[in-house]
Amino acid sequence: MALETLGSTRNKKTADAQPAVRISGLRKSFDGRLVFGGIDLDVPVGRIVSIIGQSGGGKTTLMRCVNLLERPDGGSIAIGDETIFADGGVTCRDLAKLRQRVGMVFQRFNLFPHLTAVENVVLAQMHAAAIGEREAVERAVRLLTRVGLARRAMAYPERMSGGEQQRVAIARALALGPTVLLFDEPTSALDPESTGEVLRVMRELAKDGMTMILVTHELPFAREVSDWVVFIDGGRIIEQGAAADVLDRPREARTAAYVARYAAPA
Amino acid sequence: MTSSLPFADLFQVPWNEYASNLGIGLVRTLGYTVASFIGATVLGLGLALMRLNHLRVVRVPAALYTEIFKNVPLLAIIFLTYFGLPSVGVKLNVFVAGVLSLVLFYAAYLSEIFRAAIAGIHPGQNEAAHALGLGRGTTFGHVVLPQALRLALPGTNTMFVDLIKSTSLLVTISAAELMTEAQLIASETFRALEVYLVIAAIYFAVCYPVSQCLLWLERSIQAGVPLSLGRRRRLGLARALLESGV
Repeated sequence: MALETLGSTRNKKTADAQPAVRISGLRKSFDGRLVFGGIDLDVPVGRIVSIIGQSGGGKTTLMRCVNLLERPDGGSIAIGDETIFADGGVTCRDLAKLRQRVGMVFQRFNLFPHLTAVENVVLAQMHAAAIGEREAVERAVRLLTRVGLARRAMAYPERMSGGEQQRVAIARALALGPTVLLFDEPTSALDPESTGEVLRVMRELAKDGMTMILVTHELPFAREVSDWVVFIDGGRIIEQGAAADVLDRPREARTAAYVARYAAPA
Repeated sequence: MTSSLPFADLFQVPWNEYASNLGIGLVRTLGYTVASFIGATVLGLGLALMRLNHLRVVRVPAALYTEIFKNVPLLAIIFLTYFGLPSVGVKLNVFVAGVLSLVLFYAAYLSEIFRAAIAGIHPGQNEAAHALGLGRGTTFGHVVLPQALRLALPGTNTMFVDLIKSTSLLVTISAAELMTEAQLIASETFRALEVYLVIAAIYFAVCYPVSQCLLWLERSIQAGVPLSLGRRRRLGLARALLESGV
């Protein structure tokens, strides 16, 4: 599986490769108010996509549809070769399996405060993926080492800095061996130093060919980390393309206005 | 021969003759306490979960129950179950009636404590657990409940000690617990002051250490001391791995 992922990463420019995530005609309303409609988005394996746009513009909701934390109203979503949602219904057989393939990292980290860092990474391995205790602990220690937190493994979340907590959250999401990672504004609760820590970890993951989708307000962060940017406004994709193109040379007036507003210091 | 000291003849009851009665009474008191507390915890947790359900038809009966039993005196509930129910053909023995009364009453209070504790868990916790592929049951058991227990512990501990003391109300149905024994001794010896002072001291000697132990438990959990064997084992494993530099 891992080799396959790496292999397809090298071929990510080829158009006919199976995308890691394929979203077609996706539609969602809350209480009759359209959040987004007609969203088509292919995320090739190994690509790092930033979704940018106004608050309340449906970016987070769109991303939460990818692991079905949110149920869309229509359209379809496929993860790799499995269609998980089509025409108003969930089609994946096993929601737990899907969530093992699609990891998620939250804005407020959402670590389990009653457990230490290492236990946070162990829990789902044992109870969602039925991995044995010893192997789960070993993998947790390895992952925490990988995100530079081996010495903090026995600490409780409340004793950790925001950057440390977010790195534990990334290790926790990685523990189930996902093929896609979702990041919901992963750095908006962090100071610049912590943002740098998270950025370093995401770069490491990118090197290994991990497919990542992130929602962010921070355009410098989007530029640093992603190779593809999608601008959403009014529930539609207005523009998408290579990060440098969309952020530096936007074609659409609305993108340009957004970029100009958010690139300027607040 | 009366002494000039006012308290010199305070203790005249032959306590060693009553020691076994008191011992049996104390054991019964603890029996009522433990049985009622377990029952009240189970019912209270059920009621709390009902009140947090999204369906009105589930929420309303639980809320109604809680309001009724919170606003009726415990003594009235005891009399109703023991003296009242036989007239509609339900004859309960004194232990069952006593435990049932305490369960009904304390479940109402515990459900309020549990409900507040469960509602106090950030919704992000559920979301993170679901995003990790944990099912509803596992999420509740491994994520929500352990955190809710921490929040509920102080209130629950207070209720537990309160419950120990409330078993004394069962004297009214001659439940043969500590206070009933006290009443018997007092009526045999006609020394109410001495007897009830000693009984009060026994209640204190039970309740005070219990509340101190519960306080210690509260503090340990707050300080992050892992209490379950599973957690200790996993943390031990992790520590060994970290030390060996894997």
